[in-house]
Amino acid sequence: MTLDFSWLGDPLYQQWLITGIGTTLLMSLLGILLMLAIGIVGALFLHFRIPVLETITTVLVELFRNTPPLVQLFFLYFMLSSVGLSLTDPVTGRTVPLFSGFTCAVLSLGLYNGALAVEIIRSGLIGVPSQTVEGARSLGYTRFQTFRHVELPIGLRLCMPAMTNNVVSLIKTSSQAALVAVADIMYGATQIMVETFRNMEVMLLIWALYVVIASLVVVLMRRLTSMIRIPGYGVDQA
Amino acid sequence: MTTSQTSPLIEMRNVRKSFGLFEVLKGISLSVNDGGVVCIIGPSGSGKSTILRCINGLTPIDSGTIRVGDFSVESLRSDKKLIPLRHEVAMVFQQYNLFPHRTVMQNLMMAPVQVLRQNADEVRDRAEKLLAKVRLTGKESAYPGELSGGQQQRVAIARALAMEPRVILFDEITAALDPEMVSEVLSVVRDLAAEGMTCVLVTHEMRFAEEVADEVFFTDRGVIVEHGPPSTLFKSPSDPRLKDFLDKVL
Ligand SMILES: Nc1ncnc2c1ncn2[C@@H]1O[C@H](COP(=O)(O)OP(=O)(O)OP(=O)(O)O)[C@@H](O)[C@H]1O
Ligand SMILES: [Mg+2]
Repeated sequence: MTLDFSWLGDPLYQQWLITGIGTTLLMSLLGILLMLAIGIVGALFLHFRIPVLETITTVLVELFRNTPPLVQLFFLYFMLSSVGLSLTDPVTGRTVPLFSGFTCAVLSLGLYNGALAVEIIRSGLIGVPSQTVEGARSLGYTRFQTFRHVELPIGLRLCMPAMTNNVVSLIKTSSQAALVAVADIMYGATQIMVETFRNMEVMLLIWALYVVIASLVVVLMRRLTSMIRIPGYGVDQA
Repeated sequence: MTTSQTSPLIEMRNVRKSFGLFEVLKGISLSVNDGGVVCIIGPSGSGKSTILRCINGLTPIDSGTIRVGDFSVESLRSDKKLIPLRHEVAMVFQQYNLFPHRTVMQNLMMAPVQVLRQNADEVRDRAEKLLAKVRLTGKESAYPGELSGGQQQRVAIARALAMEPRVILFDEITAALDPEMVSEVLSVVRDLAAEGMTCVLVTHEMRFAEEVADEVFFTDRGVIVEHGPPSTLFKSPSDPRLKDFLDKVL
């Protein structure tokens, strides 16, 4: 079998791939931000055992953790479009759906990996020594101030390894957005395959692209982890 | 402050506290004068730490009254209401309880700026002076994990002082230290006591208690068995439980 990568020279395909990479990165970045926000807020509800919200969080976390992310994406996409929310573009005057495939994909990534992040951040918070919390309380910090200035900063540092995995998982999961017509890497690849029938070669390239992106992200997260590492901490405490 | 000269700064009356079915404090009464140094001694589990934690409101009590200056501690039920009390009553712990993710300087500045909303520049000036006082000038940008136990405990004392409290509660602050670091921490406390800072110390350092205390309280199983000036308490104890305890620790 001979591999033929000559299609890579086609400017149109290059364009598709580059747009795809950009879309995948943007979608993942927004998904990560949403994931973090959901993770922190959910962990806060659980940590403070806020009545009602604690129960809702637990139920939602279980729901999103234990169902396939693709099912969640389809559910969001078809549910939101059947509700038919739309808005008028102020520039062109056209009516566009409020929740595009892209929005749904970001929401779905944020929710699915956010549910995982809730548990990850919570386990980080549990790792914060009770003495440190007591130190803050004795200085007059309220429960919320203690959370914001002491427990969360330490807890997030403690959960960096698990959070790195979660970020990588989110980027990989983002490839399903192609199924709701988001023009990401995967979508571009499918288009190219339809036109060139070079399935093997295209998939090899896509595979390599995801490997590169994931590796870069892991390197970045490691950098971040060592940047925020607490000097001299965790040797005897952990 | 409107506290009169004669009334003590801290007054606990008949304080009771249970954890579940287990009564830890069975009617504790004690008072501490402004500028006084009081030591609490007693066997492990007798409720010494709990007494301190009740004084600054970390542990709510079941009955009795605690007054610190003008504050009636048992009536302060919310975090916000406890802030003025914690401004006046600082605490130093056995495990230092510093903020590991912040530098020494930040540890000193955080609470005055974030809780008391004081001006950061003024707090920094004060913090620098306090670090000099505990002989840690030059360690401003070190993290707690990079310091020895004795140094960390001195940071913790400076952090307590940065709140400009009227009282400092010390809970076995040398118990986790290697022997050679005990004296460097105790000498800081000795200086504070000599300057007139009101101190309540839970300690196993009997010689230190004897040296600095105006009054010593001996607790056993949730009650104060005996109290008095160190000379009488250590030299001629009357209660058999105290005699027994002193035989073991001295
Ligand atoms: N939050 C809590 N919940 C349940 N029991 C507690 C709690 N805090 C303290 N206790 C119990 O109360 C008793 C007194 O505790 P405390 O820490 O006041 O003793 P202590 O005199 O300081 O002892 P040590 O010298 O060992 O520090 C102990 O038996 C302890 O197990
Ligand atoms: Mg104790």
